[in-house]
Amino acid sequence: MKKIILLIVLLTNITYASIKIDTTYNVLGAITQEIGGDLVNVKVLANPKYDPHFIVPKPSLISKLRHADLLIMNGGGLEMGWLPPLLKSANNPKIQPGANGFLDMSHFIVLMDKPSSVSRAFGDIHADGNPHYTLDPYTVLIIAKVISKKLEFLDSQNTKTYKKNLKNFLLKWDTYLKNLDSRMSLCKDKKVIQYHELYNYFLKRYNYVSYGDIEPLPGISPSSKHTIKLISLMKKNDVKTILQDSYHERKTAKFIADKTKAIVKIIPHDIGSVDKSDNLEDFYNNIADKLCN
Amino acid sequence: MKKIMALLLFPCLNLLADTALDNLKEQLVQQQKIIKILQNKVSLIEKNNAQKQNIELEKKMALNTKDFSSSFSQKDYAPDISMILNMSAVGRSLKNSDYQNFAIPGFIDAGDEDLLFSPDKGFNLNYAEISMHSAVDPYFDAYATFHIRPDSFEVDEAYIITRALSEGFRIKAGKFRSNFGYINEKHNHSWYFSSQPIIYQTIFGQEGIIDTGIQVQYLAPTDTYLMFGIEAMQGANTRSFGDVNNGNSLYVAYLKSSIDIGDDLSVLGGLSIANGKNIYKKETNVYGVDLVLREQLASYSSLVWQSEYLYRDKQNNTPDSDKQAGFYSELIFNYNKDYALGIMYDSITKNKTDLSIYTGLDTNNLNRYTAMVQYKPFEFSRLRLQYTYDKTKIINGERKNISEIMLELNIAAGAHSAHSY
Repeated sequence: MKKIILLIVLLTNITYASIKIDTTYNVLGAITQEIGGDLVNVKVLANPKYDPHFIVPKPSLISKLRHADLLIMNGGGLEMGWLPPLLKSANNPKIQPGANGFLDMSHFIVLMDKPSSVSRAFGDIHADGNPHYTLDPYTVLIIAKVISKKLEFLDSQNTKTYKKNLKNFLLKWDTYLKNLDSRMSLCKDKKVIQYHELYNYFLKRYNYVSYGDIEPLPGISPSSKHTIKLISLMKKNDVKTILQDSYHERKTAKFIADKTKAIVKIIPHDIGSVDKSDNLEDFYNNIADKLCN
Repeated sequence: MKKIMALLLFPCLNLLADTALDNLKEQLVQQQKIIKILQNKVSLIEKNNAQKQNIELEKKMALNTKDFSSSFSQKDYAPDISMILNMSAVGRSLKNSDYQNFAIPGFIDAGDEDLLFSPDKGFNLNYAEISMHSAVDPYFDAYATFHIRPDSFEVDEAYIITRALSEGFRIKAGKFRSNFGYINEKHNHSWYFSSQPIIYQTIFGQEGIIDTGIQVQYLAPTDTYLMFGIEAMQGANTRSFGDVNNGNSLYVAYLKSSIDIGDDLSVLGGLSIANGKNIYKKETNVYGVDLVLREQLASYSSLVWQSEYLYRDKQNNTPDSDKQAGFYSELIFNYNKDYALGIMYDSITKNKTDLSIYTGLDTNNLNRYTAMVQYKPFEFSRLRLQYTYDKTKIINGERKNISEIMLELNIAAGAHSAHSY
């Protein structure tokens, strides 16, 4: 009998030993896994194929949140359309906003394009600025540091491991960034348009110029009037690259490409959004491959 | 020889020492000069700063001595507020006065039930809804929804829910929509159709089970979604319950579970029971089964099949209790971000009750067909065109099949209300 109890205690200890972490998107999940290693069990809520603003709030996600010790979210309004009701139903005090197990990563990033005035008359804009900061490979460094700090705080007895993992990861990532930078420095054509302002952080990092968006305003479907304006703008400025995401309709981009002889490129917004973007490095490599010519 | 060397070296060393000392002294003097210059600079900057601060202070004083009103500003604590406007234009094959006097055999006697939404032909402002939400403290969130209709103001919901209970429990208290079945908890404007399922209208009335009470929900610690809930309510719903003279009289319990089949197909099913005392001070039991399947075809494209079956056993003053049942089933095709199509079928499948007042009338085949197409130019605005062919109504003592066409406009402004499943 004692042995059984001991076994049960041991088993529960083993399951409790790993910190259960939910992240809203894959990039956050991948970095968390790098820092947490074997000490964490990471689950990602959003399907990377779909629009990160509108994830289907399946009840199975509620069960994932029910178990979590830590929720790491992107923030900046990106999860506003789907996460709050799930969190409300998850009945988990550990990860409610304000609790120790709630981490809004956007608080540690300086968001770009923060609008000076906010109204839905401008479309579905984000009041805090553009939330798609994970597209900048340099923010990976900040995210890694923040996650390490959080894990050190939540699981102080393993501080050394987290610090070591962070150090190794930062070294690895620095090398990766150097390679990426030198590669991106060879790119010539730096003019693009995009469907939604998803890629601004990557574009800014490598001095690309975005001449416009296919959607007339954030969250509003393309209109012919806007599309025609965009085509003439592209012709005038000799823009030959259209950045299309994995989840919006592609007809408009193809139409514009036909009229301007531009090339449509399907760019991932998260790890796994498109083929050959299945880990952190491949994700940024994929973007670099498609942008750089 | 050694001595000579030593003698020669001694003055040399002396000489060296002297020059080193001079050097050091010289350096010291220079350093002191630099320090003095730096000190001067520092004091100048400090003076400038002090001047600047003074100027700032002067400015602030000039402004703020006139106005200290912001000291007690609490705008950062204001609740999230959203506003829903719902309006419709209706065409119907019936006069308004006749329509409002409708009966559904065995369930609703003529003129016994209000029509809350789109009762009139022509233009209707159905309601303006104000919703507020705020965290109260580390332990509670508060929600309130007010319905403002052209002739009434109503507290639709006003409740608190716990945010800090552990072990998967959550308690809700106040006036709220019961989580019985699937559609009951949802607000009218988040349904796929502009009209309420017939079986809900007949068993629970236009507003469904919305009542004052307390709810406890438990989310099982399983990987599969499994939720169990119980509610104790006042029992104000007179269609099936309504005995409120002896304290609370309605109890609701339900079990809901959901599984994912692959990445894109999710299934949510539920079993519910509501037990309470009715206006005859006798028991009513309502059983509900609901099933929702959702296949995600693309980010904005999906197929949703939603059905509910309700069975009511209502005791009355006769030895035989009423046994009645019905269901609705709807299929929605979300074509893209902007457009959706849907069809819905309603039917009363069992109607064992006293139908003697309808003698001579056909009271079988009570059913309804509905089709809709909706257009959302933006996430927060929706235009919906709905056609209904309703075969459930008795009008002025005659079975009348009603055709209705409705254009509904729904607007959601203000705080973003996220979508639940």
